[in-house]
Amino acid sequence: MKLLRRYTMYLLMTVPIVALFFYFHTLPALTGMYYSFTNWSGFGSIQWVGLKNFIGLFQDPQVMHSYLFTLEFAAVTTILVNVISLLIALALNAKIFLSKTFKAIFFMPYVLGTLVVSYIFNYLFSNVIPTIATQFHWTALTQNLLGTQYAWLGIVIVACWQGAAFNTILYLAGLQTIPEDVYEAAMIDGASAWRRFWGVTFPLIAPFFTINMVLAAKTYLQVFDQIVALTNGGPGNLTQSVSFLIYTNGFSGGELAYQSANAVVFLLLLLIVALVQLRFLQRREVQL
Amino acid sequence: MRRSKINIPAMIFLIIGAIFILFPLYMAIMVSLKNPQELGQSILGWPSKIFWSNFPNAMAATHYWQAFTNSFIITACAVILTILTNSMVAYAIARNMHKRFFRYIYFYFFAAMFVPFPIIMLPLVRQMSHIGLANQWGLIILYVVYGISFNVFVYVGYLRSIPMELEEAALVDGASRWRIFWQIIFPLLAPINATIGIITAIWAWNDFLLPLVMLGDPGQFTLPLQQYALQGQYSTNYSEAFASYLMALLPMLLIYVIAQKWIINGVTKGAIK
Amino acid sequence: MKSLKRVTSTMMTLSLLVPTMLSTYHVASANSVTITLLQNKPEVVNEWNTLIKNFEKSHPGITVKQVNPPNIDLALQADVAKGQVPDLVAMGDDATYISMAKHGIFTSWQGRKELKLVAPAYVKMLENSVGNPTPYALPYTINAVPVLYNVTLMKKYHVAIPKTWNQLIADAQKIKKAGGTAFYNGWKDSWTLAVPWNALTTNNEPANFQHLLVTGKASFIKSDKVAASDMITLAKYGQANEFGTDYNDANSGFANGKGVFYLQGTWVLPVLRADNPKVKIGSFVFPATNNPKKTKMVSGVDSLLAVTNSGDTAKEQAAQTFVDFLLSKTNGGNYANIAGAFSTVRGVKAKDPAIAGLQTYIDAGRVIDFDDHYYPAAMAAGNQYESSLQGSLSTQQSVTSILKSLDTMYQSAIAHQ
Repeated sequence: MKLLRRYTMYLLMTVPIVALFFYFHTLPALTGMYYSFTNWSGFGSIQWVGLKNFIGLFQDPQVMHSYLFTLEFAAVTTILVNVISLLIALALNAKIFLSKTFKAIFFMPYVLGTLVVSYIFNYLFSNVIPTIATQFHWTALTQNLLGTQYAWLGIVIVACWQGAAFNTILYLAGLQTIPEDVYEAAMIDGASAWRRFWGVTFPLIAPFFTINMVLAAKTYLQVFDQIVALTNGGPGNLTQSVSFLIYTNGFSGGELAYQSANAVVFLLLLLIVALVQLRFLQRREVQL
Repeated sequence: MRRSKINIPAMIFLIIGAIFILFPLYMAIMVSLKNPQELGQSILGWPSKIFWSNFPNAMAATHYWQAFTNSFIITACAVILTILTNSMVAYAIARNMHKRFFRYIYFYFFAAMFVPFPIIMLPLVRQMSHIGLANQWGLIILYVVYGISFNVFVYVGYLRSIPMELEEAALVDGASRWRIFWQIIFPLLAPINATIGIITAIWAWNDFLLPLVMLGDPGQFTLPLQQYALQGQYSTNYSEAFASYLMALLPMLLIYVIAQKWIINGVTKGAIK
Repeated sequence: MKSLKRVTSTMMTLSLLVPTMLSTYHVASANSVTITLLQNKPEVVNEWNTLIKNFEKSHPGITVKQVNPPNIDLALQADVAKGQVPDLVAMGDDATYISMAKHGIFTSWQGRKELKLVAPAYVKMLENSVGNPTPYALPYTINAVPVLYNVTLMKKYHVAIPKTWNQLIADAQKIKKAGGTAFYNGWKDSWTLAVPWNALTTNNEPANFQHLLVTGKASFIKSDKVAASDMITLAKYGQANEFGTDYNDANSGFANGKGVFYLQGTWVLPVLRADNPKVKIGSFVFPATNNPKKTKMVSGVDSLLAVTNSGDTAKEQAAQTFVDFLLSKTNGGNYANIAGAFSTVRGVKAKDPAIAGLQTYIDAGRVIDFDDHYYPAAMAAGNQYESSLQGSLSTQQSVTSILKSLDTMYQSAIAHQ
């Protein structure tokens, strides 16, 4: 009797929330998958079209380009953010003055809204840099970076400026778990700073590296806010990310079903990336 | 010992990095304090006369207090409801991981973490509109629900480190699981509740895409959405636009300055659990 | 004009919130009707509020609530899902309108007196874009694509108003040689490319091209070589940073004398004057060909009025009463003047001297609709084709390559239409 009551209470604690989760998260996802096999435009009648949308996707240069851009952007940004934040974390962990102030500065971007930060950078790229470049006759920089074929670099810069904060926090936490005597032992062996890093430090913070790589890749594959505020996908469709394309074309232009199919493909891509990363990165981890 | 000396290359690196981080904010402040004429002459210089009126002007133009209130209500409700509900679910799961049903729920939530928002987004707008929840209340529900995946993961990790003996003693005394959770376990979760609260608050406050697709009534717009919706209104009155950007960033920045240590510890705990 | 919808995303006014506040102050009487007006132009929210206030004064039984969402497509989709469409819609002749009209969301004006109050050429234009000879909407204001010019700078560089394409380019050369900028382009926002593009295509392609577009048989590479090569020429005489300048910066730049010509629609006039109240602006018809007698002015419906099938007769009638009020000469004229557009209400002439000269083209019917109203939805919506143009032009691609990209996009859009 008591056992049953105990179990009932657990069920009462979980089932309603699971039901809500299913209704607000999984149900729309399933509806989206259903749309992807139809020709529905958002208005009017709905018809089953089988795999037509999926076949169309793979022949659509715009869609293919958005995947190319998204993958390239995510790869570059994930690597850059991790390298930069690891360097910052190492520097913060070293013996320095004003360590608290520096920490406060480097973590601050984490609490700032991406959209507004991107608007600030937009002005930097479109007005400040060209004005300064014109004054000093740096011809290469007189153009708005966001209007050139290097617009993606602008997005990478903003993503790094903001994204490094979170990863730095994690790396620093990882570095602080390393006991001092491990270093001392390595120093007595006469290992150089470079060898100490790769031989001692890095293997010990590898779990943090894994988390950071997986989380960063997931975030940057879904890049949206920066694109809206910086380039709106341009010039041309050079900086249209998959999320951006699904949003803009899915809600207008009668492509609801077609972009739902795109979203299904995107889901598969994210799953594959996550699985590959976990397998590949976890193999290298060393536990202390 | 060499390590007790100040590390000069690290200092130089950090100073350069800090300049890079602070420069855009310095620029934003300089732009917001100038009148348009002066801005035309110099963007980065210190204003000859500080032009404070950009701030009240931007406040009036963007209906700042209304958007602030909207953001505040959404964030506060999302944080409170998230902590109350998600910790409870996590408790039930953590104490029953040996049962298949609860283990599957755990994996279900975990797997959902990898579902990208775009696939939910298109049908969601219709579903929420259909049940009359395409508004700020619907938005709060979504933050609470979408956070579960990650939060349960964090809570379960922490809960498993809390010894069972405490509860078993209470159980022998005849307390129900419900009471045990709220009276014994929930208070013990305080540090991790803070973590979840901080992460949820930063997310809900700064989020753009979810309010963008969910909110139709301008009276309900959040601060970031208001910045987006009113982009063209400034036309090229950048001083006013930047005053408005800074005011949108300010609340979080203030909280950060006050509770910096907490936030950093909280985020660290959340991610390494 | 679809562009206006796009302007929506960049141009918003503070008064978005005013309508909601007004409606709360309004005390509903016993048999009052409240109708919702959805309109897509943020720059005229205040003007709509004035119209609504005056209307409510003279029609105490009806309350009008204005809604001006940042993304009208999304708002309408959500409304359709709710089964709660707005009673009256004032929007551009764009892909969303066409798709809604095709799906029977709007009532027909067939046989009603309002149809006789507005210019028939534009009623026809709306019917053509839906592809169904039923008037689902009334044209309210129309825009035009001229070339805007800075009067002071025209004098400074001693150039005369060009009547042909060659003259325009000769002027541009002269200005460039004298160290000036001929065209000030805001091409970071890709939709702004639609303005010269439509003027150039419609005047230089086969007469039945718009029909071919609709039937899925159009070919850009066959029909738009002249337009593409002219676009390349225009890009040559733009400012150095033309693909890095957005609409807002371009408006402010042109208004402050950074360029002689501005390739924008009439709707930009209120913005230019806000940027620089002292600027003197003139306009001439976009000289898209070398035969001034043949050149037509691109002009489309800027705002249309459509009443939805709500199934509630009282609301439909109230919406029609409001439309009757809007179609008076005074209201139509004032609204058009503020929106930088021409009124379709019969007998109303443009008051703004900067564009008054274009009225003759409208009166004489020497106008042609935007090509992009006939592009398939997936190509026209969301700045699709303009982005393609922007991409090709900013990377200095050839005429063939510009047009090939458009053809690819067109074929793909037709395929999943």
